Amino acid sequence: MKKQNYLSVQNLTKIYGKKKPFVAVDEISFDLKEGEILGLLGPNGSGKTTTIQMLLGTLSHTSGTILYFGKEFPRYRSEVLQSVSFASTYTSLPYILTVRENLKCFGLYYGIRDIDTKTDPLLERFGILDKKYSPISSLSAGQITRLMLVKAFFTNPKVVLLDEPTASLDPDMSAEVCTFLLEERKRTGLSILFTSHKMEEVSEICDRVIFLKNGKIVADDLPKNLARSISSYQLRLTIVDGMKRLIALAEKQNITYKVDNRVIALFLDEKEIPNFLHAIMQQNIAYTSVQIKEPSLDDYFIKLAEKKK
Amino acid sequence: MNWLRISGVFLRYFYVACKGLHQLSDLFYWPLVDILIWGLASAWIQSQSHVENLPLMLMTALIFWQITWRGSVDISVSLLQEFWHRNLVNLFSTPLKISEWIAGMLLLSFCKLLITISFGAVVVYVLFALNVFTVGWAFLPFAASLIIFGWALSFLSSSLIIYWGHKVEMFAWMIAFIFAPFSAVFYPIEILPYWAQIIAWCLPTTYIFQGMRAIIATGTFPFHYFWISMGLNVIYLLISLAVFSFMFEKTRKKGLARLE
Repeated sequence: MKKQNYLSVQNLTKIYGKKKPFVAVDEISFDLKEGEILGLLGPNGSGKTTTIQMLLGTLSHTSGTILYFGKEFPRYRSEVLQSVSFASTYTSLPYILTVRENLKCFGLYYGIRDIDTKTDPLLERFGILDKKYSPISSLSAGQITRLMLVKAFFTNPKVVLLDEPTASLDPDMSAEVCTFLLEERKRTGLSILFTSHKMEEVSEICDRVIFLKNGKIVADDLPKNLARSISSYQLRLTIVDGMKRLIALAEKQNITYKVDNRVIALFLDEKEIPNFLHAIMQQNIAYTSVQIKEPSLDDYFIKLAEKKK
Repeated sequence: MNWLRISGVFLRYFYVACKGLHQLSDLFYWPLVDILIWGLASAWIQSQSHVENLPLMLMTALIFWQITWRGSVDISVSLLQEFWHRNLVNLFSTPLKISEWIAGMLLLSFCKLLITISFGAVVVYVLFALNVFTVGWAFLPFAASLIIFGWALSFLSSSLIIYWGHKVEMFAWMIAFIFAPFSAVFYPIEILPYWAQIIAWCLPTTYIFQGMRAIIATGTFPFHYFWISMGLNVIYLLISLAVFSFMFEKTRKKGLARLE
Protein backbone atom coordinates (compact mmCIF):
# COMPACT_ATOMS: atom_id res chain seq x y z
CA MET A 1 0.00 0.00 0.00
CA LYS A 2 1.37 3.41 -0.94
CA LYS A 3 2.21 5.51 2.08
CA GLN A 4 0.75 9.00 2.18
CA ASN A 5 2.77 12.17 2.52
CA TYR A 6 2.41 13.53 6.03
CA LEU A 7 4.40 16.59 5.06
CA SER A 8 4.96 18.03 1.63
CA VAL A 9 7.21 21.04 1.08
CA GLN A 10 7.32 22.75 -2.31
CA ASN A 11 9.76 25.51 -3.31
CA LEU A 12 10.02 26.74 0.26
CA THR A 13 11.99 29.97 0.40
CA LYS A 14 12.98 32.35 3.16
CA ILE A 15 14.54 35.70 2.35
CA TYR A 16 15.51 38.06 5.17
CA GLY A 17 15.67 41.81 4.64
CA LYS A 18 14.74 43.96 1.67
CA LYS A 19 17.66 46.34 1.12
CA LYS A 20 20.30 43.62 1.35
CA PRO A 21 18.29 40.45 0.89
CA PHE A 22 19.75 37.29 2.38
CA VAL A 23 18.39 33.98 1.11
CA ALA A 24 18.42 31.62 4.10
CA VAL A 25 16.38 28.87 2.43
CA ASP A 26 16.26 28.68 -1.33
CA GLU A 27 13.35 26.89 -3.03
CA ILE A 28 13.66 23.58 -1.23
CA SER A 29 11.18 20.77 -1.92
CA PHE A 30 10.82 17.47 -0.13
CA ASP A 31 8.22 15.05 1.23
CA LEU A 32 8.00 13.26 4.54
CA LYS A 33 6.07 10.02 4.20
CA GLU A 34 4.04 8.25 6.83
CA GLY A 35 6.41 6.32 9.10
CA GLU A 36 9.53 7.84 7.59
CA ILE A 37 12.49 9.22 9.55
CA LEU A 38 14.10 11.94 7.50
CA GLY A 39 17.43 13.52 8.43
CA LEU A 40 17.92 17.19 7.68
CA LEU A 41 21.65 17.81 7.70
CA GLY A 42 24.09 20.50 6.75
CA PRO A 43 26.84 22.72 8.10
CA ASN A 44 26.08 25.59 10.49
CA GLY A 45 24.08 28.29 8.72
CA SER A 46 22.88 25.96 5.98
CA GLY A 47 19.19 26.62 6.77
CA LYS A 48 18.18 23.59 8.87
CA THR A 49 16.78 25.47 11.86
CA THR A 50 15.20 28.10 9.60
CA THR A 51 13.41 25.30 7.77
CA ILE A 52 12.16 23.76 11.01
CA GLN A 53 10.98 27.14 12.30
CA MET A 54 9.00 27.64 9.08
CA LEU A 55 7.51 24.16 9.42
CA LEU A 56 6.36 25.11 12.93
CA GLY A 57 4.91 28.45 11.86
CA THR A 58 7.11 30.43 14.25
CA LEU A 59 8.81 31.94 11.21
CA SER A 60 6.80 32.88 8.14
CA HIS A 61 8.10 31.80 4.75
CA THR A 62 8.67 34.19 1.86
CA SER A 63 7.29 31.85 -0.79
CA GLY A 64 6.49 28.22 -1.44
CA THR A 65 3.97 25.87 0.12
CA ILE A 66 3.86 23.62 3.17
CA LEU A 67 1.21 20.91 3.30
CA TYR A 68 0.65 18.76 6.39
CA PHE A 69 -1.67 15.80 5.77
CA GLY A 70 -2.72 17.55 2.56
CA LYS A 71 -3.75 20.72 4.38
CA GLU A 72 -2.18 24.07 3.73
CA PHE A 73 0.03 25.45 6.49
CA PRO A 74 -0.15 27.98 8.12
CA ARG A 75 -3.76 28.44 6.92
CA TYR A 76 -4.90 25.47 9.02
CA ARG A 77 -2.21 26.09 11.61
CA SER A 78 -4.06 25.19 14.80
CA GLU A 79 -5.76 22.11 13.32
CA VAL A 80 -2.53 20.82 11.77
CA LEU A 81 -0.34 21.44 14.82
CA GLN A 82 -2.66 19.21 16.83
CA SER A 83 -0.78 16.33 15.20
CA VAL A 84 2.66 17.91 14.98
CA SER A 85 5.10 18.33 17.83
CA PHE A 86 8.56 19.70 18.35
CA ALA A 87 11.60 19.31 20.56
CA SER A 88 14.87 21.17 20.52
CA THR A 89 17.92 21.40 22.70
CA TYR A 90 17.92 25.13 22.16
CA THR A 91 14.63 25.98 23.83
CA SER A 92 13.70 25.66 27.48
CA LEU A 93 10.60 25.70 29.66
CA PRO A 94 9.38 28.05 32.42
CA TYR A 95 11.93 27.27 35.12
CA ILE A 96 9.75 28.19 38.12
CA LEU A 97 7.18 25.57 37.15
CA THR A 98 7.63 21.89 37.95
CA VAL A 99 7.96 19.22 35.29
CA ARG A 100 4.37 18.16 35.84
CA GLU A 101 3.00 21.71 35.75
CA ASN A 102 4.75 22.37 32.46
CA LEU A 103 3.47 19.14 30.94
CA LYS A 104 -0.02 19.86 32.29
CA CYS A 105 -0.09 23.20 30.44
CA PHE A 106 1.24 21.69 27.22
CA GLY A 107 -1.29 18.87 27.53
CA LEU A 108 -4.11 21.41 27.70
CA TYR A 109 -2.80 23.19 24.58
CA TYR A 110 -3.25 19.84 22.79
CA GLY A 111 -6.64 19.20 24.42
CA ILE A 112 -5.35 16.51 26.82
CA ARG A 113 -6.83 16.64 30.32
CA ASP A 114 -5.38 13.56 31.97
CA ILE A 115 -1.67 13.88 31.42
CA ASP A 116 -0.27 11.51 34.04
CA THR A 117 -1.20 8.30 32.24
CA LYS A 118 0.49 9.63 29.11
CA THR A 119 3.55 11.32 30.59
CA ASP A 120 4.57 8.91 33.38
CA PRO A 121 5.70 6.03 31.11
CA LEU A 122 7.75 8.48 29.04
CA LEU A 123 9.26 10.19 32.07
CA GLU A 124 10.22 6.75 33.37
CA ARG A 125 11.67 5.72 30.02
CA PHE A 126 13.89 8.80 29.95
CA GLY A 127 14.88 8.40 33.60
CA ILE A 128 13.27 11.56 34.98
CA LEU A 129 10.11 10.26 36.64
CA ASP A 130 11.63 11.11 40.03
CA LYS A 131 11.84 14.75 38.85
CA LYS A 132 8.13 14.99 38.11
CA TYR A 133 7.45 17.39 40.98
CA SER A 134 10.77 19.25 40.76
CA PRO A 135 11.08 22.71 39.23
CA ILE A 136 12.78 22.95 35.85
CA SER A 137 15.48 25.10 37.48
CA SER A 138 16.70 22.02 39.38
CA LEU A 139 17.13 19.91 36.23
CA SER A 140 20.41 19.45 34.38
CA ALA A 141 20.71 20.38 30.69
CA GLY A 142 20.49 16.71 29.76
CA GLN A 143 17.36 16.22 31.86
CA ILE A 144 15.70 19.24 30.21
CA THR A 145 16.54 17.79 26.80
CA ARG A 146 14.88 14.51 27.82
CA LEU A 147 11.88 16.41 29.15
CA MET A 148 11.58 18.13 25.78
CA LEU A 149 11.31 14.71 24.18
CA VAL A 150 8.57 13.73 26.65
CA LYS A 151 6.78 16.97 25.74
CA ALA A 152 7.08 16.13 22.04
CA PHE A 153 5.82 12.56 22.29
CA PHE A 154 3.08 12.50 24.94
CA THR A 155 0.61 14.34 22.69
CA ASN A 156 0.32 11.42 20.23
CA PRO A 157 1.81 13.28 17.27
CA LYS A 158 1.86 12.05 13.69
CA VAL A 159 4.82 14.24 12.78
CA VAL A 160 7.65 15.15 15.14
CA LEU A 161 10.22 17.80 14.32
CA LEU A 162 13.42 17.29 16.30
CA ASP A 163 16.14 19.93 16.23
CA GLU A 164 19.31 18.28 17.54
CA PRO A 165 17.44 16.35 20.23
CA THR A 166 20.50 14.52 21.51
CA ALA A 167 22.99 17.42 21.48
CA SER A 168 23.42 17.62 25.25
CA LEU A 169 23.01 13.93 26.06
CA ASP A 170 25.55 11.32 27.15
CA PRO A 171 26.28 8.60 24.57
CA ASP A 172 24.21 6.00 26.45
CA MET A 173 21.18 8.30 26.66
CA SER A 174 21.62 9.31 22.99
CA ALA A 175 21.52 5.63 22.07
CA GLU A 176 18.43 5.19 24.24
CA VAL A 177 16.74 8.11 22.46
CA CYS A 178 17.54 6.60 19.05
CA THR A 179 16.12 3.24 20.15
CA PHE A 180 13.03 5.03 21.43
CA LEU A 181 12.51 6.88 18.15
CA LEU A 182 12.72 3.66 16.15
CA GLU A 183 10.31 1.91 18.54
CA GLU A 184 7.82 4.78 18.45
CA ARG A 185 7.91 4.82 14.67
CA LYS A 186 7.22 1.08 14.60
CA ARG A 187 4.48 1.32 17.24
CA THR A 188 2.59 4.37 15.96
CA GLY A 189 3.75 4.89 12.39
CA LEU A 190 4.70 8.48 13.08
CA SER A 191 7.09 10.43 10.89
CA ILE A 192 10.15 12.26 12.16
CA LEU A 193 12.18 15.11 10.72
CA PHE A 194 15.50 15.02 12.48
CA THR A 195 18.47 17.38 12.54
CA SER A 196 21.72 16.37 14.19
CA HIS A 197 25.45 16.81 13.96
CA LYS A 198 26.00 13.24 15.09
CA MET A 199 26.35 11.47 11.74
CA GLU A 200 26.55 8.00 13.26
CA GLU A 201 23.17 8.56 14.86
CA VAL A 202 21.69 9.84 11.59
CA SER A 203 23.03 6.82 9.68
CA GLU A 204 21.50 4.54 12.29
CA ILE A 205 17.97 5.89 12.43
CA CYS A 206 17.24 7.88 9.27
CA ASP A 207 15.63 6.21 6.26
CA ARG A 208 16.62 9.11 4.09
CA VAL A 209 18.82 12.16 4.40
CA ILE A 210 18.59 15.63 2.93
CA PHE A 211 21.74 17.72 2.86
CA LEU A 212 21.36 21.48 2.89
CA LYS A 213 24.11 23.87 1.91
CA ASN A 214 23.67 27.63 1.65
CA GLY A 215 19.92 27.12 1.91
CA LYS A 216 19.72 24.67 -1.00
CA ILE A 217 19.24 20.92 -1.07
CA VAL A 218 22.48 19.46 -2.43
CA ALA A 219 21.66 15.81 -1.80
CA ASP A 220 18.61 13.68 -1.05
CA ASP A 221 19.34 9.97 -0.67
CA LEU A 222 19.82 7.02 1.68
CA PRO A 223 22.58 7.67 4.26
CA LYS A 224 24.57 4.72 2.87
CA ASN A 225 24.38 5.95 -0.73
CA LEU A 226 25.44 9.46 0.25
CA ALA A 227 28.49 8.17 2.06
CA ARG A 228 29.47 5.98 -0.86
CA SER A 229 28.82 8.68 -3.42
CA ILE A 230 31.82 10.77 -2.52
CA SER A 231 34.22 8.76 -0.45
CA SER A 232 36.42 5.74 -1.05
CA TYR A 233 37.30 3.12 1.52
CA GLN A 234 40.22 4.05 3.72
CA LEU A 235 43.07 1.55 4.06
CA ARG A 236 45.32 2.44 6.99
CA LEU A 237 48.67 0.72 7.34
CA THR A 238 51.43 1.13 9.96
CA ILE A 239 54.59 0.68 7.95
CA VAL A 240 57.76 -0.88 9.42
CA ASP A 241 59.82 -0.88 6.22
CA GLY A 242 59.23 0.36 2.64
CA MET A 243 57.26 3.60 3.03
CA LYS A 244 58.96 5.11 -0.02
CA ARG A 245 58.15 2.06 -2.15
CA LEU A 246 54.55 2.15 -0.95
CA ILE A 247 54.17 5.82 -1.84
CA ALA A 248 55.61 5.14 -5.29
CA LEU A 249 53.17 2.25 -5.73
CA ALA A 250 50.22 4.42 -4.69
CA GLU A 251 51.27 7.20 -7.07
CA LYS A 252 51.72 4.72 -9.89
CA GLN A 253 48.16 3.44 -9.37
CA ASN A 254 46.75 6.98 -8.92
CA ILE A 255 45.66 6.27 -5.36
CA THR A 256 45.23 9.24 -3.01
CA TYR A 257 47.12 8.93 0.28
CA LYS A 258 47.99 10.77 3.47
CA VAL A 259 51.10 10.04 5.49
CA ASP A 260 51.32 10.66 9.21
CA ASN A 261 54.66 9.51 10.60
CA ARG A 262 54.69 5.69 10.08
CA VAL A 263 50.98 5.52 9.27
CA ILE A 264 49.68 5.84 5.75
CA ALA A 265 46.01 6.21 4.85
CA LEU A 266 45.13 5.20 1.28
CA PHE A 267 41.78 6.06 -0.31
CA LEU A 268 40.59 3.48 -2.83
CA ASP A 269 37.56 1.51 -3.98
CA GLU A 270 36.46 -1.51 -1.97
CA LYS A 271 37.18 -3.85 -4.95
CA GLU A 272 40.77 -2.60 -5.31
CA ILE A 273 41.80 -3.43 -1.72
CA PRO A 274 42.72 -7.16 -2.17
CA ASN A 275 44.81 -6.45 -5.29
CA PHE A 276 46.57 -3.54 -3.62
CA LEU A 277 47.43 -5.62 -0.51
CA HIS A 278 48.77 -8.33 -2.84
CA ALA A 279 50.97 -5.74 -4.62
CA ILE A 280 52.31 -4.56 -1.25
CA MET A 281 53.29 -8.14 -0.40
CA GLN A 282 55.09 -8.52 -3.73
CA GLN A 283 57.11 -5.34 -3.05
CA ASN A 284 58.20 -6.77 0.34
CA ILE A 285 56.74 -3.82 2.20
CA ALA A 286 56.47 -4.69 5.91
CA TYR A 287 53.59 -3.42 8.02
CA THR A 288 52.44 -4.16 11.56
CA SER A 289 48.78 -3.26 11.43
CA VAL A 290 46.07 -2.92 8.80
CA GLN A 291 42.75 -1.19 9.20
CA ILE A 292 39.93 -0.83 6.65
CA LYS A 293 37.44 1.98 7.25
CA GLU A 294 34.12 2.08 5.40
CA PRO A 295 33.02 5.45 4.02
CA SER A 296 30.62 7.18 6.44
CA LEU A 297 28.20 10.04 6.49
CA ASP A 298 30.84 11.87 8.50
CA ASP A 299 33.12 11.77 5.44
CA TYR A 300 30.33 13.17 3.30
CA PHE A 301 29.68 15.94 5.81
CA ILE A 302 33.37 16.88 6.04
CA LYS A 303 33.68 16.89 2.26
CA LEU A 304 30.67 19.20 2.04
CA ALA A 305 32.12 21.57 4.62
CA GLU A 306 35.49 21.56 2.80
CA LYS A 307 33.78 22.53 -0.44
CA LYS A 308 32.31 25.50 1.39
CA LYS A 309 35.80 26.64 2.43
CA MET B 1 -11.60 29.40 20.57
CA ASN B 2 -10.88 26.29 22.57
CA TRP B 3 -11.62 26.45 26.29
CA LEU B 4 -9.03 23.80 27.22
CA ARG B 5 -6.24 25.74 25.52
CA ILE B 6 -7.40 28.95 27.24
CA SER B 7 -7.34 27.15 30.58
CA GLY B 8 -3.81 25.94 29.76
CA VAL B 9 -2.66 29.54 29.32
CA PHE B 10 -4.47 30.60 32.49
CA LEU B 11 -2.83 27.77 34.43
CA ARG B 12 0.61 28.50 33.01
CA TYR B 13 0.60 32.10 34.32
CA PHE B 14 -1.32 31.20 37.45
CA TYR B 15 1.49 28.82 38.48
CA VAL B 16 4.01 31.61 37.96
CA ALA B 17 1.85 34.11 39.85
CA CYS B 18 1.67 31.76 42.84
CA LYS B 19 5.40 31.05 42.90
CA GLY B 20 7.27 34.07 41.66
CA LEU B 21 8.28 36.57 44.35
CA HIS B 22 8.27 39.21 41.63
CA GLN B 23 4.63 38.45 40.86
CA LEU B 24 3.64 38.41 44.50
CA SER B 25 5.34 41.77 45.04
CA ASP B 26 3.24 43.21 42.20
CA LEU B 27 0.10 41.89 43.83
CA PHE B 28 0.80 42.89 47.44
CA TYR B 29 4.06 44.70 48.16
CA TRP B 30 3.86 47.68 45.77
CA PRO B 31 0.16 48.40 46.44
CA LEU B 32 0.95 48.34 50.16
CA VAL B 33 3.88 50.75 49.77
CA ASP B 34 1.72 53.12 47.69
CA ILE B 35 -1.12 53.01 50.19
CA LEU B 36 1.18 53.74 53.12
CA ILE B 37 2.95 56.66 51.43
CA TRP B 38 -0.18 58.24 49.97
CA GLY B 39 -2.29 57.51 53.03
CA LEU B 40 0.11 59.25 55.38
CA ALA B 41 0.73 62.10 52.94
CA SER B 42 -3.00 62.69 52.44
CA ALA B 43 -3.64 62.62 56.21
CA TRP B 44 -1.03 65.34 56.65
CA ILE B 45 -2.32 67.40 53.69
CA GLN B 46 -5.88 67.12 55.07
CA SER B 47 -4.72 68.57 58.38
CA GLN B 48 -3.31 71.58 56.50
CA SER B 49 -6.16 72.18 54.02
CA HIS B 50 -9.92 72.62 53.79
CA VAL B 51 -10.58 70.26 50.88
CA GLU B 52 -13.33 67.94 51.97
CA ASN B 53 -12.72 64.17 51.91
CA LEU B 54 -9.19 64.62 50.56
CA PRO B 55 -7.77 61.38 52.03
CA LEU B 56 -10.75 59.40 50.71
CA MET B 57 -10.34 60.95 47.24
CA LEU B 58 -6.63 60.21 47.17
CA MET B 59 -6.95 56.66 48.47
CA THR B 60 -9.81 55.83 46.10
CA ALA B 61 -7.78 57.32 43.26
CA LEU B 62 -4.84 55.21 44.33
CA ILE B 63 -6.87 51.98 44.31
CA PHE B 64 -8.36 52.97 40.93
CA TRP B 65 -4.91 53.70 39.54
CA GLN B 66 -3.77 50.25 40.68
CA ILE B 67 -6.50 48.83 38.43
CA THR B 68 -5.18 50.59 35.33
CA TRP B 69 -1.56 49.86 36.20
CA ARG B 70 -2.34 46.19 36.94
CA GLY B 71 -4.02 45.83 33.54
CA SER B 72 -1.20 47.65 31.77
CA VAL B 73 1.54 45.30 32.92
CA ASP B 74 -0.16 41.91 32.87
CA ILE B 75 -0.09 41.05 29.17
CA SER B 76 3.31 42.52 28.39
CA VAL B 77 4.99 40.96 31.43
CA SER B 78 3.44 37.58 30.58
CA LEU B 79 4.93 37.95 27.12
CA LEU B 80 8.30 38.84 28.60
CA GLN B 81 8.15 35.73 30.78
CA GLU B 82 8.11 33.64 27.61
CA PHE B 83 11.28 35.44 26.47
CA TRP B 84 13.00 34.99 29.83
CA HIS B 85 12.08 31.29 29.97
CA ARG B 86 13.01 30.68 26.30
CA ASN B 87 9.54 29.25 25.84
CA LEU B 88 8.16 31.39 23.02
CA VAL B 89 8.87 28.89 20.24
CA ASN B 90 7.58 26.00 22.38
CA LEU B 91 4.38 27.91 23.09
CA PHE B 92 3.58 29.05 19.56
CA SER B 93 4.49 25.74 17.93
CA THR B 94 1.48 24.19 19.67
CA PRO B 95 -2.13 24.43 18.39
CA LEU B 96 -2.60 27.44 20.67
CA LYS B 97 -4.04 30.46 18.84
CA ILE B 98 -2.98 34.00 19.65
CA SER B 99 -6.59 34.84 20.52
CA GLU B 100 -6.65 31.96 23.05
CA TRP B 101 -3.37 33.12 24.55
CA ILE B 102 -4.85 36.60 24.97
CA ALA B 103 -8.10 35.26 26.44
CA GLY B 104 -6.22 33.13 29.00
CA MET B 105 -4.06 36.05 30.05
CA LEU B 106 -6.97 38.48 30.34
CA LEU B 107 -8.82 35.99 32.51
CA LEU B 108 -5.88 35.72 34.88
CA SER B 109 -5.33 39.49 34.78
CA PHE B 110 -8.94 39.94 35.91
CA CYS B 111 -8.45 37.49 38.81
CA LYS B 112 -5.24 39.23 39.88
CA LEU B 113 -7.07 42.54 39.73
CA LEU B 114 -9.75 41.27 42.13
CA ILE B 115 -7.01 40.21 44.54
CA THR B 116 -5.22 43.58 44.33
CA ILE B 117 -8.43 45.58 44.83
CA SER B 118 -9.59 43.44 47.74
CA PHE B 119 -6.18 43.59 49.42
CA GLY B 120 -5.85 47.35 48.85
CA ALA B 121 -9.37 48.10 50.09
CA VAL B 122 -8.82 46.09 53.28
CA VAL B 123 -5.45 47.74 53.97
CA VAL B 124 -6.91 51.23 53.44
CA TYR B 125 -9.82 50.43 55.75
CA VAL B 126 -7.63 48.91 58.48
CA LEU B 127 -4.88 51.54 58.43
CA PHE B 128 -6.83 54.70 57.64
CA ALA B 129 -10.46 53.81 58.42
CA LEU B 130 -11.49 54.82 54.89
CA ASN B 131 -13.93 52.89 52.72
CA VAL B 132 -12.93 53.14 49.06
CA PHE B 133 -16.29 51.62 48.13
CA THR B 134 -17.93 54.90 49.15
CA VAL B 135 -18.48 55.48 45.43
CA GLY B 136 -21.00 52.62 45.74
CA TRP B 137 -22.10 50.50 42.80
CA ALA B 138 -20.25 52.88 40.44
CA PHE B 139 -17.09 51.14 41.53
CA LEU B 140 -17.78 48.24 39.18
CA PRO B 141 -18.29 50.10 35.87
CA PHE B 142 -15.45 52.46 36.78
CA ALA B 143 -13.14 49.54 37.49
CA ALA B 144 -14.19 47.86 34.23
CA SER B 145 -13.38 50.98 32.26
CA LEU B 146 -10.02 51.41 33.97
CA ILE B 147 -8.88 47.84 33.42
CA ILE B 148 -9.92 47.92 29.76
CA PHE B 149 -7.70 50.96 29.24
CA GLY B 150 -4.91 49.17 31.13
CA TRP B 151 -5.24 46.23 28.76
CA ALA B 152 -5.20 48.53 25.74
CA LEU B 153 -1.94 50.03 27.02
CA SER B 154 -0.54 46.58 27.67
CA PHE B 155 -1.30 45.48 24.10
CA LEU B 156 0.50 48.58 22.85
CA SER B 157 3.63 47.89 24.91
CA SER B 158 3.40 44.20 23.94
CA SER B 159 3.34 45.27 20.28
CA LEU B 160 6.70 46.98 20.78
CA ILE B 161 8.11 44.11 22.82
CA ILE B 162 7.06 41.35 20.42
CA TYR B 163 8.92 43.09 17.60
CA TRP B 164 11.94 44.76 19.24
CA GLY B 165 12.37 42.28 22.09
CA HIS B 166 14.36 42.81 25.27
CA LYS B 167 15.67 46.26 24.38
CA VAL B 168 12.20 47.79 24.82
CA GLU B 169 11.02 45.65 27.73
CA MET B 170 10.95 48.68 30.08
CA PHE B 171 7.77 49.78 28.25
CA ALA B 172 5.93 46.97 30.03
CA TRP B 173 6.20 48.91 33.31
CA MET B 174 6.49 52.43 31.91
CA ILE B 175 3.55 52.76 29.59
CA ALA B 176 0.85 53.44 32.19
CA PHE B 177 2.97 56.13 33.84
CA ILE B 178 3.33 57.96 30.52
CA PHE B 179 -0.43 58.54 30.66
CA ALA B 180 -0.74 58.99 34.44
CA PRO B 181 -0.04 62.78 34.56
CA PHE B 182 -2.70 63.36 31.87
CA SER B 183 -5.28 61.12 33.54
CA ALA B 184 -5.73 63.53 36.48
CA VAL B 185 -5.52 60.65 38.90
CA PHE B 186 -4.90 62.59 42.11
CA TYR B 187 -5.94 66.11 41.09
CA PRO B 188 -8.75 67.75 39.10
CA ILE B 189 -8.12 68.22 35.40
CA GLU B 190 -8.30 72.01 35.78
CA ILE B 191 -4.82 71.92 37.38
CA LEU B 192 -3.32 70.85 34.05
CA PRO B 193 -2.21 73.41 31.46
CA TYR B 194 -4.59 73.86 28.55
CA TRP B 195 -2.61 71.76 26.04
CA ALA B 196 -2.41 68.92 28.57
CA GLN B 197 -6.14 69.14 29.20
CA ILE B 198 -6.78 68.47 25.50
CA ILE B 199 -4.77 65.27 25.76
CA ALA B 200 -6.42 64.41 29.07
CA TRP B 201 -9.94 64.58 27.62
CA CYS B 202 -8.86 62.03 25.00
CA LEU B 203 -8.09 59.47 27.70
CA PRO B 204 -10.82 57.24 29.15
CA THR B 205 -9.13 57.31 32.55
CA THR B 206 -9.60 61.08 32.95
CA TYR B 207 -13.41 60.69 32.84
CA ILE B 208 -13.28 57.97 35.47
CA PHE B 209 -11.10 59.91 37.91
CA GLN B 210 -13.16 63.08 37.39
CA GLY B 211 -16.31 61.00 37.89
CA MET B 212 -14.93 59.40 41.03
CA ARG B 213 -14.24 62.81 42.56
CA ALA B 214 -17.70 64.00 41.55
CA ILE B 215 -19.37 61.09 43.35
CA ILE B 216 -17.35 61.64 46.52
CA ALA B 217 -18.02 65.39 46.44
CA THR B 218 -21.67 65.44 45.35
CA GLY B 219 -22.91 61.85 45.55
CA THR B 220 -24.03 62.02 41.90
CA PHE B 221 -22.92 59.44 39.36
CA PRO B 222 -21.85 61.18 36.13
CA PHE B 223 -23.30 58.82 33.54
CA HIS B 224 -22.05 60.81 30.57
CA TYR B 225 -18.45 60.54 31.84
CA PHE B 226 -18.78 56.79 32.10
CA TRP B 227 -20.20 56.35 28.60
CA ILE B 228 -17.58 58.60 27.00
CA SER B 229 -14.91 56.64 28.84
CA MET B 230 -16.29 53.30 27.62
CA GLY B 231 -16.62 54.60 24.07
CA LEU B 232 -12.98 55.69 24.03
CA ASN B 233 -11.98 52.36 25.58
CA VAL B 234 -13.64 50.38 22.81
CA ILE B 235 -11.79 52.44 20.21
CA TYR B 236 -8.40 52.17 21.96
CA LEU B 237 -8.76 48.49 22.74
CA LEU B 238 -9.65 47.65 19.14
CA ILE B 239 -6.75 49.75 17.85
CA SER B 240 -4.26 48.22 20.28
CA LEU B 241 -5.45 44.68 19.45
CA ALA B 242 -5.09 45.40 15.75
CA VAL B 243 -1.59 46.84 16.29
CA PHE B 244 -0.59 43.81 18.39
CA SER B 245 -1.89 41.34 15.78
CA PHE B 246 -0.08 43.28 13.05
CA MET B 247 3.21 43.35 14.98
CA PHE B 248 2.89 39.66 15.89
CA GLU B 249 2.59 38.74 12.22
CA LYS B 250 5.42 41.15 11.38
CA THR B 251 7.67 39.50 13.95
CA ARG B 252 6.89 36.07 12.49
CA LYS B 253 8.66 37.29 9.36
CA LYS B 254 11.84 37.63 11.40
CA GLY B 255 11.12 34.57 13.53
CA LEU B 256 10.05 34.17 17.13
CA ALA B 257 13.23 32.27 18.00
CA ARG B 258 15.33 35.44 17.72
CA LEU B 259 13.50 36.88 20.75
CA GLU B 260 14.57 34.10 23.13
